[in-house]
Amino acid sequence: MRKRGLKFYLSIYRKILIQDLKSKMSYRADFVISTFGMIMTNLAGFITFMILFHNFPTINGWDYYHMLFLYGFSLVALTPVQCFFDNNWNLRFMVQTGDFIKYCFRPVNVFFYFMSEVFDVKGLGQLAFGIGTIVYAWIHIGLEVNVLIILKLILFLFTASLFMIAIMNFAAATCFWLKGSGYVMVIMFRFKDFAKYPSSIFQGVFKVIFTFIIPIAFIAYYPSLVILEPGNVPLLSWLSPLIGLLFFFASYKFWMLGVRRYDFTGS
Amino acid sequence: MNPKRLLALTRGGIMESLHYRLGIFVTLFANLIYLVLVYYLWKAIYDSSGTDVVNGMTFSDTMIYLILATALFNFLEMFVVWDMSRAIQSGKIVLDLLKPMSFRKYTFWSYTGNHVVQFVLTFIPTFIVVMIVTGGAIRMGLNLLWFIIATVFALVINYNIEMLIAPICLYTESTWGINIVKETIVLLLSGASIPLAFFPEKARIVVEYLPFRAVYDIPLSILLEKSGSDTCEGLLKLFGLQLIWLVILTVAGNIFWKIAVRRITVNGG
Repeated sequence: MRKRGLKFYLSIYRKILIQDLKSKMSYRADFVISTFGMIMTNLAGFITFMILFHNFPTINGWDYYHMLFLYGFSLVALTPVQCFFDNNWNLRFMVQTGDFIKYCFRPVNVFFYFMSEVFDVKGLGQLAFGIGTIVYAWIHIGLEVNVLIILKLILFLFTASLFMIAIMNFAAATCFWLKGSGYVMVIMFRFKDFAKYPSSIFQGVFKVIFTFIIPIAFIAYYPSLVILEPGNVPLLSWLSPLIGLLFFFASYKFWMLGVRRYDFTGS
Repeated sequence: MNPKRLLALTRGGIMESLHYRLGIFVTLFANLIYLVLVYYLWKAIYDSSGTDVVNGMTFSDTMIYLILATALFNFLEMFVVWDMSRAIQSGKIVLDLLKPMSFRKYTFWSYTGNHVVQFVLTFIPTFIVVMIVTGGAIRMGLNLLWFIIATVFALVINYNIEMLIAPICLYTESTWGINIVKETIVLLLSGASIPLAFFPEKARIVVEYLPFRAVYDIPLSILLEKSGSDTCEGLLKLFGLQLIWLVILTVAGNIFWKIAVRRITVNGG
């Protein structure tokens, strides 16, 4: 099979995306309620955050606005996984029922085709919420604004998003080996709630675990330090784009390994 | 109704849950990791606050509260909303409706098996770990008995909240959205994600009379002997609140289900 360029995949993605949006439009009520639900989860997260700060003015040396920045950063970084990789949640049902076989018969990359089938519009609400929070915190901290910083912010947001995508790919792909493995995804999805706190709170062996094994420290903490503390950036922050690509690539390989192992259940 | 028939459903549920043994152990393991996260977060919070007691809660109180809330969450978690929408899509709901038992009762008793398994395999081990780690910070007395009674009430209330929400799917064809709204509201207002004691005064007064509190906060408060549950009068008040919501939600759920069931349309099947 001949290698296809990025252009080919983009045009395919656009076509599949339009189909997906058309099918979603036929369930308008669902769309409205889901969007509302997404706003509710973000709001609830925010309220929890406010209640915490109502009782405790600083956490581990981080004041309200710095924490708010971290929170907004994590929301934006978690948007791509919500928008582009949401089909991971359907993987286990597809594998269980045997519907997954259809992806193996198309002359495009299985991973690409599977993920392109769903674009989750409601993730955009989270994006808006996250950007608003970052801007608000940014103004109150008094960080400077120039082209370089904005470019850095975008690069490191992109980096940060890779980690959650990788985590969810790993979690979803477990269903190729384990029966009824939905709980792995549910648990991993819950861990992301801790991305919005500074990872300096962890100590000892757990610091290593939450940095390199379940890399929640990279979803917001390390990448955001580049913006928040430009004078004092740890090495891990600078390395995070590389580590992010590594995690993403490993999760992709793991996912594809699962596909190769998959033999479909009749029916 | 013959109790033997209901227990048969429980037994079926137990067997079904035990089929996914690995899942239970992974959940338990992952819960422990999750608790480590909670521990570090709250330790950092209490360390930076400078005082040992905040809103009448010490660090160890908060930890026990949140750990047991997580364990209780696993134990009480139901997927009625998902199950119902899937049953409608596949047409299986027709078979459930034809059973010689009311749908509500059937669903409840099918779930009890899962509750039993979760209680034994996740709640009790977590409880024991908490007891060992904190060196017996939970008093072993009558409060344990009251806690179990409150938990049974919580289970029924939780089920009724589910059954009140699930039929909305019949109208809206939305599952994810409805479920996430329900889960978010319940988790926030029940004290499962942040103890109710930390809520600002005015918000707390409102939240204390809502039904969500009866699911997590009341059983845990009773176990930890907080919120005045150490007096006979306070205890009765908490149970009274649970009982009132239990009755209201059961009646409301029953009525709503009777109306909603007429809406079911199944294509083919």
